[in-house]
Amino acid sequence: MAKAKKNKSSRKVDLANRMPLKLNPGRLDPETSDEAINVLIVGVGGQGVIMVSKVLAQICQNLGLQVKQSEVHGMAKRGGVVFSHVRFGKTVWSPTIPMGKADVLIALEWAEGLRWMNYLRPATGIFITDTKRIVPPFACRSRILGADIGYSKNTPDDVIGKVAEAFAIDATDMAAKAGNELAANTLLLGALSTTLTFSNEVWREVIAQMVPPKTIEVNLKVFDQGQKWIEGSRKGEPVEGSAFVPLVQPEEYPMRTTLSITEEWCKGCDICIKMCPERCLTLNKDQVVELADPEKCTGCHICEWLCPDFAISLNPALNPPSNPKVQEAVA
Amino acid sequence: MNKHVIPQAEEPLKQNNHQDNHLENIRDFEIQDYLRLDLFPHFMCPGCGHGIALRALLWAIHIQGIDKNKLAIVSGIGCSGRVGTYIDANTYHTTHGRPLAFATGLKMARPDLHVVVITGDGDCLAIGGNHLIHAARRNLDITCIMLNNEIYGMTGGQVSPTTPHDRFTTTTPAGNIEPVFDASRLAEAAGAGFVGREVTIHVPRLRDLISEGLDYKGFSFIEVMSDCTEINGRKNDLGSSSEMVLGQTRNMRPNEYDNNVVDHPFRPNSLNTGVFVKSDRPEYGASYRDMVDGIQKKQKGH
Repeated sequence: MAKAKKNKSSRKVDLANRMPLKLNPGRLDPETSDEAINVLIVGVGGQGVIMVSKVLAQICQNLGLQVKQSEVHGMAKRGGVVFSHVRFGKTVWSPTIPMGKADVLIALEWAEGLRWMNYLRPATGIFITDTKRIVPPFACRSRILGADIGYSKNTPDDVIGKVAEAFAIDATDMAAKAGNELAANTLLLGALSTTLTFSNEVWREVIAQMVPPKTIEVNLKVFDQGQKWIEGSRKGEPVEGSAFVPLVQPEEYPMRTTLSITEEWCKGCDICIKMCPERCLTLNKDQVVELADPEKCTGCHICEWLCPDFAISLNPALNPPSNPKVQEAVA
Repeated sequence: MNKHVIPQAEEPLKQNNHQDNHLENIRDFEIQDYLRLDLFPHFMCPGCGHGIALRALLWAIHIQGIDKNKLAIVSGIGCSGRVGTYIDANTYHTTHGRPLAFATGLKMARPDLHVVVITGDGDCLAIGGNHLIHAARRNLDITCIMLNNEIYGMTGGQVSPTTPHDRFTTTTPAGNIEPVFDASRLAEAAGAGFVGREVTIHVPRLRDLISEGLDYKGFSFIEVMSDCTEINGRKNDLGSSSEMVLGQTRNMRPNEYDNNVVDHPFRPNSLNTGVFVKSDRPEYGASYRDMVDGIQKKQKGH
């Protein structure tokens, strides 16, 4: 942030030599709009949410605008949030964006984008998202194969009609093909640049300052790709990297293990019954263990390992799924 | 007694490519291959942790790929001494407290055998305490598995060297006032090359620890924290077998994060688990044979 402070002090001197802001008419222009322009950046952490907002805030500072940025970098993978609010314009008072007031929403992860969509302005909001999916652990609570996926099953088609403009880019894949998967956030910056009036030179200069020196080349490359992607898709040209593979929900999956119990060996100590995470074992009237709920058994082996009498044996006989879709997903 | 045949899986399992290797290894192990099935069900009480320890031992033997004909199990007297009976290998049931002495002789005479000693807390620390310290001192290539259930279970629940403070036993009706023996630290101080401790509830960890001990060339001492539900647990109101097994997770702390935990277990004998010692001290059998070779060469030269 030392650089930012330096720029702040020399702001008035630089202003005269700067390029005019109104290069791209029809875009969000902080000079003409009375209200501040709000950009909300969300992700799951570790993808460069903060870097995107820093680049944007730095550009605004360089151009002599007022800018306020506030962030929460918790752990979205554990149920928390990772977002960064950037507000800039002639005058900015509050550092946070109210619900329904964001002009642009940039999501670095698909479900996070959907989660924050209500922050966009209903009529004019622009939604730019990476289609990369990072499934959090709490979305897979059920341990049974074929259990319902807790992750969003929405596709980009579901977003159409809910926002003014929406772009779902497979940015991570495109950045990986360009040479560095981590540059996906710069690709989205390129996409963002098409919605604002700042000139390309300003963007490229600040990105080159912010990213690690070794990755400047690839970052600038994907920045151009992001710009071209949006411009191409606005014109209706076929664009690469828009493929969205819907999640396959395994519909029917047969129990993959069979539990065989040697009744003569069981002494009814109930270790397996209490230790079973699915609570699918029980003692029968002869004080011998039996599998009460075969549907629940996931084949975790805990009962087998903890049986002091070797009475439980798990036969991991996997019945191949009949559904070809599921077969594909499993393979 | 009938032989109980467990139905085997119908399909060969290696066709399922999506399962990782770890699962393949689990399936590879069939405990029935290592048991004397005509002796089953075994004599141990319901919920006895010795059975779980036996599974971990056999699994470790399977992982190490030890031939059953080259495996010698030596056991003493007590509940732990009877555990060896059920292993389908060369088993050697010896006198009270002396399995390590017998095993020393066996290993010296037959260095090609894998010698595993199964002993208990009373067998190893009280009656056989002297043999333990000298076996550890010599560092002969023996794997000693001490099943510590904190009581003399077979003889009716007398106090043992590892019975925690204030526990009621048949010989301490008003509570135990003797200090507790830390067997792993004893073995370490006596010079054992490999020392580790694990609880029975963590079967894979126990398996890996025993496997590491079997692999170690030298005296490996492994203390298994077992539970005696029927005698120790009932007398001291420690709960059902499942509660006692679960209690191990509350009371034990893995050695590797010992200095990094806030809550130390509120228990008289709260203990660490994991590998404590793994040194490269010279192995006694190898040193002995080197010495013999040297003397024989000298004599031939003269």
